[in-house]
Amino acid sequence: MLNHILIRLVRAFLTLMLVMTFAFLVLRLSGDPAIILLGPDAPQDAINAFRERWGLNDPLWKQYLAYIAQVLTLDFGVSMRDQVPALELVMSRIPATLAITVPALILKVAIGIPAGVYAALHRQSIADRGVITLSIFGFTVPSFVLGLILVLIFAVTLGWLPSGGQDSWRHAILPIATLSVGGIGIMARFSRSAMIEVLGQPYIRTAMAKGLSWRDVVWKHALPNAAVPIVTLLGFMVGSLIAGAAVVESIFSWPGVGRLIVTSVANRDLAVVQSLLLVIACSMIVANFLVDLAYGLLDPRLRSKRAAH
Amino acid sequence: MGQFMHINRRQSLGLLGGAAFGALILPGSLMAQGARRSITIAVQKISNNNTLDNWHEQSNVGERVFYPNFWEGLIGRNWMGDQGPVPELATEWKRLDDKTIEFKLRQGVKFHNGDEMTAEDVAFSFSDERLFGGTEPVGGTTIYAEDFKPNTDKELPASVPGTARRLWPALRGVEIVDRYTVRFHNATPDVTLEGRFYAGGPQITSKRAWDEAKTYAEWARSPVTTGAYKVEEFKPDVSLTLVAHDEHWAGRPPLERIRFIEVPEVASRVNGLLSGEYDFACDLPPDQIGTIANTAGLEVQSSTIWNHRVSVFNTQNEIMADPLVRRAMTHAIDRNAIVEALWAGQTVVPKGLQFDSYAASNMLIEDWTVPEFNPELARDLLKQANYKGDAIPYFLLNNYYTNQTATGQVLTEMWQQAGINVEIQMKENWSQIFAGEGERGLRDWSASNLVNDPVTPMVNQFGPNGQAQQNLEYSNAELNQMSVVLETSTDHETRRKAFRRMLEIAEREDPVYTLLHQNAVFTGMKSELNWKAAPAFAMDFRRDNWNV
Repeated sequence: MLNHILIRLVRAFLTLMLVMTFAFLVLRLSGDPAIILLGPDAPQDAINAFRERWGLNDPLWKQYLAYIAQVLTLDFGVSMRDQVPALELVMSRIPATLAITVPALILKVAIGIPAGVYAALHRQSIADRGVITLSIFGFTVPSFVLGLILVLIFAVTLGWLPSGGQDSWRHAILPIATLSVGGIGIMARFSRSAMIEVLGQPYIRTAMAKGLSWRDVVWKHALPNAAVPIVTLLGFMVGSLIAGAAVVESIFSWPGVGRLIVTSVANRDLAVVQSLLLVIACSMIVANFLVDLAYGLLDPRLRSKRAAH
Repeated sequence: MGQFMHINRRQSLGLLGGAAFGALILPGSLMAQGARRSITIAVQKISNNNTLDNWHEQSNVGERVFYPNFWEGLIGRNWMGDQGPVPELATEWKRLDDKTIEFKLRQGVKFHNGDEMTAEDVAFSFSDERLFGGTEPVGGTTIYAEDFKPNTDKELPASVPGTARRLWPALRGVEIVDRYTVRFHNATPDVTLEGRFYAGGPQITSKRAWDEAKTYAEWARSPVTTGAYKVEEFKPDVSLTLVAHDEHWAGRPPLERIRFIEVPEVASRVNGLLSGEYDFACDLPPDQIGTIANTAGLEVQSSTIWNHRVSVFNTQNEIMADPLVRRAMTHAIDRNAIVEALWAGQTVVPKGLQFDSYAASNMLIEDWTVPEFNPELARDLLKQANYKGDAIPYFLLNNYYTNQTATGQVLTEMWQQAGINVEIQMKENWSQIFAGEGERGLRDWSASNLVNDPVTPMVNQFGPNGQAQQNLEYSNAELNQMSVVLETSTDHETRRKAFRRMLEIAEREDPVYTLLHQNAVFTGMKSELNWKAAPAFAMDFRRDNWNV
């Protein structure tokens, strides 16, 4: 088990270095932060001084090595735009993003999974068709369209909710709704498929033949087995809690990580982009790790395989 | 206004549980105190640099939140009138000679921290520590620097001294004559000195507040000024709340609070205005005018601003090196069609690279016009140039300027009609625009009137030290000679002649740019507010422009 964790950590570290190198090259080669941040009207003296201050006149390889050396000492640099520590800036935005992505995730799980399971247990019924239709609607309508429709209905026409901002809990309702609709649809479709597949397995027939009640068959045999693919999907969703709301945050003027990604990439504010990548990659790695652990808990066969290794 | 509720970081985390929403509501505080109203303004961006330092944030969006409500200078701009100079923190000024101006300061002006503004604050506002970072003036040396030894070790943003020296290239220093009298000493004669005082930047800040701030970043998030409104809260990328400065020298401001909210999406700004959440929605594209103007209780104010849209030629491109091709391009554009089709007729085609406000100093060349729309002439010029139809790359940004992409497409079609093969190449940022030295045929830009004199934008943008020439896009010896005359001569008629000659060269004989139209901004608002927009990004919420 320790070996397994160590291998995963080394792999995660290498992935992180690759991602950061790629981001460094793409950002540095596609624009000079001095001209982008200071704008087209900035005097040449100001542009020169800015380049000098941030080391942008050094050769690219030197800038890269300096940056990597900095990161390895856990110094993630200072934002060229805000002149505050980049990691601090990123961390300050995370609570706002989680404030809408976590409730949205809870809704995805709380509504999507029961709806999918119910549809699978009542296959070909009107309820099943209803769930399929709604879930297709949910994951095919882009969030920027859905968000604007919800604003038009609930803010502009009915006047029940605010159209954007972060002043109160009421401001969070429409972003959460927009974020959750697609995920509920995906979760319902996935849960339905997983359940249908499991319900067709021989061990379900065996369980029924043993005389177990339908309720016991579903709760003790079908659901735990269907949970493995659902947990995989859940892992993806947990991994994107921090970075998965960029569009919705822009529509609803919600000042979270997503908007920071957009502005820092546009401004080539490298220290901030790299800190964002680090935090996002870490959240993905943690999510994958948790999924791995959950597999072991859900499926004894995986546990015994790892033990054998 | 209704209630403002606030959410902080811990409360944001509280939302995680989903079920704990109710606990997040803080007791609302009713904003209305006395009879004054508070307003909410939705803007695309509050500050590009996330600071409220007007030297660091030299942008249109900065102008909106800074002037005239927050930053004030010795000389103010008559925002709601002829855009000329008006006394602000100085009650009078006079020239002692062609290099020196003396100001009498307004007495009893209180900063937001309660201190009285004195000559020391004025001198500090133009000091090395605050502004020039040790840079020397052109044609002279710094004086009085020893009077201002920094009290704290603050690092100015790298760009500030360069930006400051652009506006004050030859300022040697500020002499404190007495508590309410200062003298500005320039190294060279300059007839535009007065105009420089009401440009963006040279406004006055409290020396004590600067000294007390631990870092530049701390100061720049809440500078202490003399304006009618002071910073109550600035949340970068989110909102800026200004609150009335009741000790303002012009009397109690008419509004209790002004809240700027950053709403990056146009649709969201419009929706917020339609739903009644916002009192103003700024930065609207012209195609949104109808939606708002047709809604009961709402209206759109349009203002042409001190900024012209131009396309700049790059003579490093082999084809564009020939002035005949550039001249042909200037004659192939139907500028009025662009104004009608893309701007709903809400802006104008100016008299070349001039602003009406030049008339105040008799520097407006009244009989000058943009090149006439004449495709026949364009074709004839191309023939003389022996142009074979080779492609001319047009480096274009995606709507950095309002309507930029659509304008680029229209221009390309107009040029095509005249037989000029211009090909658009979309670019992501300014760095990519400037990267294509020999390849680029032309690119877009805008030209601003900074000091209400033809030195801006003609000299500072297209003269020998302007960006176009510094980037080697263009050079013309006679134009450069005229630039020197315009900058240094103190004889009005000589300057006027030099400016006319520059227009002839830059727009007709050896074009460096072609002018398209004046820029305009559109602001949606509640009609009941009975407020008027200035011909600028700035929004005036002082007593004289608030009647509700």
